[in-house]
Amino acid sequence: MSLLDVDNISIRFGGLRALGDFSFKLEPGDLVGLIGPNGAGKTTAFNLVTGVYSPNEGTIRLAGEEIGGLGMAAINRLGIARTFQNIRLFGPMSVLDNVAVSIERCDSDGPFRHARCLIRSVARTTGFFSARSQTVDRAMHLLETLNLAHHARRPAASLPYGDQRRLEIARALATKPRVLCLDEPAAGMNPQEKMALTELIRGIREKFDVAIWLIEHDMKLVMNLCQRLTVLDHGQIIATGTPKEIQQNPKVIEAYLGEGAVH
Amino acid sequence: MSTPSSDVLPLLTRPSRFAPLWANWWIPVAIGLLILLAPWIEGGTPYAGVHWDKFWARITMLIGINLTLAVSLQLINGIAGQFSLGHAGFMAVGAYMGGYAVTAHGAAAPTDGDAVPWMNPGGALLFVLAVLLVTAVSGLIAYGLYRAVRLLARLHPKGPVAFMWLLLAWLALDVMLKTKGVGGVGGGPASNPLGAINLLGLTIKTIGASFTFLLDHSSPLAALLTNSIPASLRKPSTLIVSLLGGGTAAAIIGFVVGLPTLRLRGDYLAIATLGVSELIRTAITNSEPLGRATGFSVSTFAVEADASDGTLATYYFPWVYGVALLTILIVWRIQHSPKGRALQCLREDEIASSAVGIDVTGHKVMAFVIGAFLAGLGGSLFAHYDGYMNPKQFDMQRSIELVVMVTLGGLGSVPGTIIACLLLTLLQPTLQTSEQWMPHWMPHWTLSITSFANQYRLVIYAMLLILAMLARSRGWLNFRSRGQATLAGTT
Repeated sequence: MSLLDVDNISIRFGGLRALGDFSFKLEPGDLVGLIGPNGAGKTTAFNLVTGVYSPNEGTIRLAGEEIGGLGMAAINRLGIARTFQNIRLFGPMSVLDNVAVSIERCDSDGPFRHARCLIRSVARTTGFFSARSQTVDRAMHLLETLNLAHHARRPAASLPYGDQRRLEIARALATKPRVLCLDEPAAGMNPQEKMALTELIRGIREKFDVAIWLIEHDMKLVMNLCQRLTVLDHGQIIATGTPKEIQQNPKVIEAYLGEGAVH
Repeated sequence: MSTPSSDVLPLLTRPSRFAPLWANWWIPVAIGLLILLAPWIEGGTPYAGVHWDKFWARITMLIGINLTLAVSLQLINGIAGQFSLGHAGFMAVGAYMGGYAVTAHGAAAPTDGDAVPWMNPGGALLFVLAVLLVTAVSGLIAYGLYRAVRLLARLHPKGPVAFMWLLLAWLALDVMLKTKGVGGVGGGPASNPLGAINLLGLTIKTIGASFTFLLDHSSPLAALLTNSIPASLRKPSTLIVSLLGGGTAAAIIGFVVGLPTLRLRGDYLAIATLGVSELIRTAITNSEPLGRATGFSVSTFAVEADASDGTLATYYFPWVYGVALLTILIVWRIQHSPKGRALQCLREDEIASSAVGIDVTGHKVMAFVIGAFLAGLGGSLFAHYDGYMNPKQFDMQRSIELVVMVTLGGLGSVPGTIIACLLLTLLQPTLQTSEQWMPHWMPHWTLSITSFANQYRLVIYAMLLILAMLARSRGWLNFRSRGQATLAGTT
């Protein structure tokens, strides 16, 4: 049984079939890439798996449990976290708070968790204070790991671009995911930042015991980093395989460079 | 993973060196209120010798009630960022519930021959329970229908529509059966072909029976409850029953209304909440037992022979300000807690919030229910202090006034709301009485300005709101710096 098992999912927006018969498997510890030209349906695939849309057909299973059609929040709680192509941080909140909300969400589980959390907060019991200092500790650990600790008190929106991307990854990791979906993590980064990001993603996979699925346009980064690749074009999978196989696949070259390029 | 560097963590866990002066503002407020409340807590007649000017006694009470209402609206509008224009509706629910419970069921004791008002907390409690029972059951039915429709929508896109048609067909069939004298929904002869539907009728009958039992404020149960409370505590306990009843009723209405409307965003939500508050007002205006548009006199302390506005204020002062302080404390502590941070996330970005596992609708409903509960408390106090219920008092104007307080105070800032509430509530009486307090040596035209401002008070409100939006969209009285870490130990 795979960790994430996507079986033949499709979605239509009106008459447009944005994604058709998309199948995909992710094992624990995998680092897999999803590439394709603009408008190929990569982000749509992410949105289906993370619950932004529900698939019209097909099933999505996380460790054997059907998750297709559940809401985003429910899917996140089951262990799939994501980042966004256009960064979506809680801008005016501090870096620490951005991570803390994800940790605090994990803390409150079980029956009547909302009511219990509320009563604890209003009564300011000792449990409230110990939970708060634990949250701060864990958030700081995470920020240290991602080299963001020195920014902890700054508003998230005031961070440099690369740091904002890393903060989004930190926030996703704080929800203790089993699968981490990164939507173009290197977009807008310079070559040095991209190098650092490659190392960071490798490090995350080892330290956090998480399978990573990423969308990326930078071929150098993808070929360097990923064990396997899936190539999408016009909502269809046109190739899967190791980076080497993909580089030589004529269909892929055609999709990227146009017909007649393979000569 | 390494441990956090030592220069960062202590900074985060201890109160910041740069914590603003007002970070612990509630401590002096609490001490002051304790001093004010002390004689009342000790027993006896508090402030018996204090002379309350009628006019200013009224304003003082109004400030306290407005504090409760504005701070509870801050939780919904500012902290959770759900722009609601319907706070007066929740206030009305609390006021009518609290006022009616005391007037119709809490006034005369079953065993007292001389019928001293305010002496039947048992009767009031049973009435509150009866209304809550009916509200809760109808709420559950509505929620069940809502879940059924959602489930049908998941099973098939046309499901909800089919469900509606089935419901319509059932009702039509029922009308046909009734006109033919066979029976119909809600009980009928056993020959009713839709026998199963009698279950619904039976439920309604059971609820009705328990309802009439609970409504009887001279029943043995009510007498037992009332007599188990010492005579000296009957007045305050009736008030507590009326407060909690008003708050809970408003909270239930908030839940029932919140579930469907909170799926809306921005302007749509504002319009929906406005509609709900008007709906509540119209329902009250057309309700016979609640006195329709003319309203009714609340049987409070005021009907006692020697009650003047002054003694009324003396009695209610600790109640009004106690509830206001409680509201401020609850809202402040929720804001600086995990739930408060989750609400703040919702305000910033709903999609990102659900991506980190925050249940968006659930948290919105939570804020709505707590805000409504506190508004219900404020409304109930308003009913008692004002002594006269009238649907006109809970119109849109009132909601707008509260929204102005919250907005001027700064969305998300509780201290700002308190200051704005004080200033705006004092504005009208101050301008009105300018002839009395204006020193004689001031030039004559200052009086013209104040009387002009008094006349155009509402226009000035609107202009303040526009200016606030243009100049400082985070509120004029919002002292918080933008990026202040709420986890940084200042709370």
